[in-house]
Amino acid sequence: MAAIFNLNHHPSYVHWHFFQLSVSNLVVIVLMIVVFIAAILIPFPSRRATGGRS
Amino acid sequence: MSVSEERSWTAAVRERAVGALPPDKLLPDKQPSYVASWIYVFGVLSLSSLAVIILSGTILALKGPGWWHFTGIGHFFNSIHLWSVELFFFVMVIHLWGKYFMAAWRGGRKAVWITGSITFLVAIPCALTGYVSQQNFDAQWISTQAKDAMNAAGIGSFFNLLNFGQMYSYHILLLPAAVVAIVIGHILLVRKHGVVPPFKVPAATSQASRDGAGPEAEESAS
Repeated sequence: MAAIFNLNHHPSYVHWHFFQLSVSNLVVIVLMIVVFIAAILIPFPSRRATGGRS
Repeated sequence: MSVSEERSWTAAVRERAVGALPPDKLLPDKQPSYVASWIYVFGVLSLSSLAVIILSGTILALKGPGWWHFTGIGHFFNSIHLWSVELFFFVMVIHLWGKYFMAAWRGGRKAVWITGSITFLVAIPCALTGYVSQQNFDAQWISTQAKDAMNAAGIGSFFNLLNFGQMYSYHILLLPAAVVAIVIGHILLVRKHGVVPPFKVPAATSQASRDGAGPEAEESAS
């Protein structure tokens, strides 16, 4: 990862009142929410959809 | 020597085990149609990640710190171990969210929910002891910071984060054994009770119900 991103700096934080969260953790949480919503909305490929079973 | 007609404890255990989990329930070849959704794959993704964690961790334990710090292939397996743990928690949290919003404890599945929750809670110290088992300055920094939390909680005499041998034993034996054992119990309970069905949709708004093919009426191959 260090080859892709420059990690040689102080970490970035989101600070809101008492709430403090590193940007990297925030990215992971947002990704989890995106994957969770996608898993619910994206249709699962079924045999019926591919014509294998009717 | 005559064959005894008395019932033995092995027969009693076998009968009870087969009664609770007959072979077709233990290794089913069909699942209800509602399982055909992406949200149901995160359980098996968690299991797959756990298998990679155990496998890569076994290789790291066999080869030792000199290998995982100073060789290219050692770095590779070290990274595989780290990222499979990241993936394990990523998919396990989505699995947890999915089951929470399905209220997966319904229909006598309380123990399934509880074993899943305990797995999550035990997996956290299992991962954290890995940070202090790295044998580098990162591990040294983390252990000297985290020991204060243990001491503040009054459990520093039981969990000494500066004791590498203790932390390494927790990381590669005690906690993984607990996680794997609870996961096995969790899977057996899922097999016994079946996958939790979705909430019933009112008939007036359900096209499937109007067609007479509700989610629990149809079965498809898994």
